[in-house]
This record gives sequence, structure tokens and C-alpha cells, in this order.
Amino acid sequence: MKKIYLIVAREFTERVRKKSFIVTTLLMPLFMIGMMVAPSLMMFYGKSEQKQVVVVDKSGFVAERMQSSEEVVFSVQNNLTKEEACQIYNAESGIFGILYINEDVKESGNVQFIINSSSSLMLEELIQSQLKSIVEREKLKERYNIDNLDQMLADVAVPIALNTFENNGTGNEEDMESTSAGINYILGIILGMLLYMVIIIYGQMVLTSVVEEKSSRVIDVMVTSCSPFQLMMGKILGIAAVALTQIAIWAALIIAASKFLIPALFSADVAMSSDAMLQGIMGTLGDTGYIATLFIYLALFILGGFLLYASLYAAAGSAVDSVQDGQQFNTIIMMPIILAMIVMMSVFNDPNSPIAFWASMIPFTSPIVMIARIPFGIPTWEVVVSLVVLYLSFVVTTWLSAKIYRIGIFMHGKRPSWGELAKWLKTK
Amino acid sequence: MDSILSVQHVTKSYTGHVALDDVSLEVPRGSVYGLLGPNGAGKTTLIRVINRITLADKGRVMLDGKEISVDDIFHIGYMPEERGLYKKMRVGEQAIFFARLKGLDRRDAEKRLRHWFERLGISDWWGRKVEDLSKGMAQKVQFISTVLHEPKLLIFDEPFSGFDPINANLLKEEILGLRDRGATIIFSTHNMASVEEICDHITLINKSRNILSGSVEEIRRTAGGNTFEITHRSSHEVLSEAVGELANVIGESRGVVGGYTATKIDVPRNEDIREVISRLNDRCELRAMQELMPSMNDIFIRAVNGTLK
Repeated sequence: MKKIYLIVAREFTERVRKKSFIVTTLLMPLFMIGMMVAPSLMMFYGKSEQKQVVVVDKSGFVAERMQSSEEVVFSVQNNLTKEEACQIYNAESGIFGILYINEDVKESGNVQFIINSSSSLMLEELIQSQLKSIVEREKLKERYNIDNLDQMLADVAVPIALNTFENNGTGNEEDMESTSAGINYILGIILGMLLYMVIIIYGQMVLTSVVEEKSSRVIDVMVTSCSPFQLMMGKILGIAAVALTQIAIWAALIIAASKFLIPALFSADVAMSSDAMLQGIMGTLGDTGYIATLFIYLALFILGGFLLYASLYAAAGSAVDSVQDGQQFNTIIMMPIILAMIVMMSVFNDPNSPIAFWASMIPFTSPIVMIARIPFGIPTWEVVVSLVVLYLSFVVTTWLSAKIYRIGIFMHGKRPSWGELAKWLKTK
Repeated sequence: MDSILSVQHVTKSYTGHVALDDVSLEVPRGSVYGLLGPNGAGKTTLIRVINRITLADKGRVMLDGKEISVDDIFHIGYMPEERGLYKKMRVGEQAIFFARLKGLDRRDAEKRLRHWFERLGISDWWGRKVEDLSKGMAQKVQFISTVLHEPKLLIFDEPFSGFDPINANLLKEEILGLRDRGATIIFSTHNMASVEEICDHITLINKSRNILSGSVEEIRRTAGGNTFEITHRSSHEVLSEAVGELANVIGESRGVVGGYTATKIDVPRNEDIREVISRLNDRCELRAMQELMPSMNDIFIRAVNGTLK
């Protein structure tokens, strides 16, 4: 045990002190904070000025009903011809564009928007929807002789609020926990991606590290000082410790930044909206107990998933002579991970489909698929079975990988014969 | 003979070729044991079999009369031919790490390391990264890591390669010092000069087989053909006449400093050397006479070529 500890400590301190570790540890939260702040920043600073649009309405009923808003102001100039309007309101006039409505707009739906600078999708959609509703109402009024249509419509307008709850068998609104596919979806994606990144990034770190040790021949010195199993486990656990440390630092930095850094750097408006986003997610997650459970599951699945794949990566690393050769094995190991990502996407349509269920039980896909399903509310027994299967298979793959590792690390260029392989499997 | 390590009938083959063919040898306790042989003879494979890095197909390796176990290996000091150090790690920390793996505690390890670093004149390198060291420098660090825990059995694979003569000499002194303090040292080499100076025993491996084993003294004496070199001031003919039927003059005489001539003679084993000396003394102007021992280099080449008697 003391030897494993020494190896873990070496792997950990060497990696944590590397410049690349420090840089990624600090840059990643900046990136995440950027992602959090960007939407609110865009909302507050990315807003463009109010656009002036001149409406030349030849039909006679549209222009007066166009409604100006924060984005656009309409001014009516019905007595100009199209050509005159274009001459007067050219690029130098400061007018954004001319909306020319044909006389027969009711039948043809033909409207021209002649602009002086580049258009925006948002503005086009806004104008289009206004025009559509104005023209449709006008036709409705005319065809079916409804005079007080506007009043009638205003009368029946009701905004719909869809409240989704989790069924707890009582039907009592107070007791049921509200749940929302939207938040679950976001949370599921974030958790699944996190698992995916940890397995890929740190798994490959294990592979590279094994290959380097092998090619630099440190391995000869190491195995005359400790057993190959100790060496492999020490390496895997050391890198696992690095991964957990990095994630913990990220979490702490992101939370701290959203509490202190963002309010200090940006205006209160931005800060509030990014805080509200976090609060919104937290609020929807419900009580702290649920969050704590989620974190425990997350930690268990990250650790289990990483350990399972790390042992495979270690075995692959031991079997090759260079990192380039290792890429082949890397591709093979990546396949179930990518499959898991594909299944994860289907989970969001139906978290309880048979494929989602089985993919979250089979150990090679279970960490990613299960962690993505958990936010949707999965029976505890399913999670427990999935974890047990995951950890049992970790023990099996590690045992097997240790055997392969033991043989692989001393194969330089020459292939072992089958007899030799059998003999190694039998030796302690 | 009290042997610490005994290799018995070890055979090891890889697909396509035999690396060791029925090799046996006994390493006496407290000796410096040289494993000699041309490149690719199987020296490194033998060392790896002893270390259990590779398993033998047949035969066994005994340490102190018991079959060698994994735990025994952890106590051996082993320096592989291709130096294995973590490139990105600092020298001092790395040496401490290896020492602790070998069971020393941190304080003890550091104390011993400081002592050794001073001794080999590399104290300045403590905080440097291994990748910044030259090959010879890294080798010193590796040497220290190998001997630090004072193992009773040390195995060096080509310890002198990569060293300049001064440092090679330093290393020789250290190896002899370790032997004097009770360690047994096995090392492989094709540097014959080092063998004559420091080895007590050797095994010569060629084409996967042990072709010559024994103490250096004994081997040189047996290989030597009772050849003597006589330094004198007589003519070649006078000398030939003097030794007569007792010895054969080999080749021509050659002049040496001070007007003397050197001539080699071969004295058959059954002749009394004192008779030869007395005849030479009577008839020639004799100045000196010495037995010519074959160098290990000669023996090596002759053994490998199969011309050794």
C-alpha cells in the first residue's frame, strides 16, 4: 500500500505542478463564466439602436395599425410613390428602410422591404408577423362581417402557463415537486458532457503516461521496485486525484466568480441576470438534499467511469511502443464512449425508453447515459444497480488490464507468443 | 564456493530466435562478476531473467539457495542499460522517490543522497530537471539511485557506457568500494579494460551460450601459453642456440631502448623454467625476463572466434 501511495503522490504532484495544468485550471472557469455572462451581456450591450422605417402603404389599412416598439419605429408616408420614397430616404437620410405595401396586399400578400443597410432576421420576423396578423384580421372582418373583431379577440386572449409536476401519487399540487423538461435537459447535457470530457481527457492521460514510462525505460527501474499492479493502480489513482482536484477547483471558481467577480465587473443588471440564471437552475433543482444526492451520484459515476476506462487505456498504453501507435487503440476505446453520447441524446426524448435503460446498465455506456438520465428522476434502484455493475466491471477490467499491462510493458517491438502470454497469465 | 546467486540451465527463446541457450553460472558472494560478450549475445536477456522482468522458458535462478522471488527483486539494486529516469522530474525529488520505493524513509533517503551527491560532485544538480542533464550526468544520478539502499546484490547493465575516462574511473572506484563493504556486484560489459581492473570472476557469453566461466586469474593463466619475453643484448642466433631444444623462439627480435633487444620464447609446460633461465644467463647478456599474460581482450576475441585452447 505504501508503494501505491508513493506512486499516486508522485503522479499527482508532478501533474499538478505542470504549467499546462495550472493554465487549463484557470482558463476553463473563465470560459465557463464567459458562457454564463455572454447571453446577458448580449442582451444589455448587444442591443442595436431603434430603427426608423418609413411605411408607404398603398392599401390604406395596414400602416395605421403598425405598432412601433423598442426595436423599430414606423413613420407613415402614404402619399409618396415607391420611387420618390427611395430617392428621399436614401442611405444618407439615416432611415433604415422603406416598407412598401402594395394595393392588392390582401390577395397577393406582396410587401417589399427596401433597406439602406444590412437587414436583420429579428426585424424581418417582427415586421412579417405584424403584417400577417393585420392582413388576416382585415380579411376576417371583411369576409365574415365581424365589426368588433379586435374587441372579441382581446376578450378571449389567455396566456397559457404549463406547469409540469412529478407524479408522487397524491395529485396534491402543494406536495408534488415541479419538474421541467427544459432544465432537466440542460442539466443532463451538462452532466453527460462533463463525464465524457473527464473520461476522454484523463483516460488519454493514462495512456500517454504509460507509453512514456515504457519508452523512457523508467519501467525497468519501476518494476524492480514495485509490482506492475501497484504501478498501474498508482498511476490510475494519481490521475483520478488530479481530475477530481481540477473539477473541484473549477466548481469553486465558478461559484465564487458568479457570486463576487461578476457583480464587481459588470453592471448590476448583468450580474442579476447571470445570477438569476444560476438561481433559476438551482431553484428548479429544488431542495439542497436533491442537489447533494446529485453531487454524490456525479462523483460516483465520474470515479467509476474514469476508473473503468483508465484501466483499458493503461492496458492499451502498455501494448504499444509509441503514442502514435496508441491512437489506434484510442479509437477503439472511444467507440463505446461516442455510442454513449449518441444514446444520451435520445435520452432527452424519452428518458425511460428501453435503449436508455439498457445503455445506463451496461458499464461501458452507463456512466454517461445514467448521469444524463438522473435529472429526469430515475428510480433509486436503477441507479444503484447501474453503480454496482459499473464498479464490479471496473474490478474485472482492472484485473485483466493488470495482466495485459504486466506483459505489455516489456514488449519492445517483439510480439509475445501465445505460450508466453499463457505463462504470464498464470504467474503472480 | 559460497555463491549468492546461481543461474541453472536457463533457456529463453523468442519467436524466431534463441536468446539464452542452457546458461548456468555461479556468482560468488562478495565478488565483482563480469558478464562479457559481443553485442546481442544475450547478456541483457540474462540480466532481465535474473530480475524476473522476463521469465525463462526453462531453468531457474536461485538467490541464497532459494528460488528468487518478486520480493527479492525489490531489494536488488538494478541499473538498466537504457537509463530510466522521469525526464520532467527534478533530480533530487526523483532520487528520493526511488529511494522511498525501495523502502527508505524520506529523511534517511535525503541524508544519504546528499552524501552521495557530494561524493560524486553533483550536488549542484539537486534542483535541475533530468531532461537538462547530459547522458553521463543522468547516469551518475541513476547509479546513486541504484546503490542508495545498500542492496547486497547489485546488477549493472553496461555501467561504463556514456562515461568519459575520468568518470569511468570514478565509477570503478565506487564499485570496488561497494564490494569492500560487502556487496556482490554483477555487471555486463564489452569494455575489456574494465574487466581486468575490477572483475574477480567472469562469464563469457557468445551466441546465447556460456562459453567461458571462472576467476579472471585462472582464466588468464590457463589461456596463457607459457610465453616469456626476454630483454637482452645478444644476437637472435645466440639466443636461439642458448635455449636450444628447451624452448621455441617466436618470431623476430625487436629493438628496445638502451640498445637492448626483446625476444619472445615459448616454453613447453613440461620444461623447467629455471633451466632455461640458467642457460640464458650463461650465454646471453640477459637483462630481464617476464611471463606474458594474455590480455582479456585477446582471450575475449580468441574465445569468440573459437581459437582459445
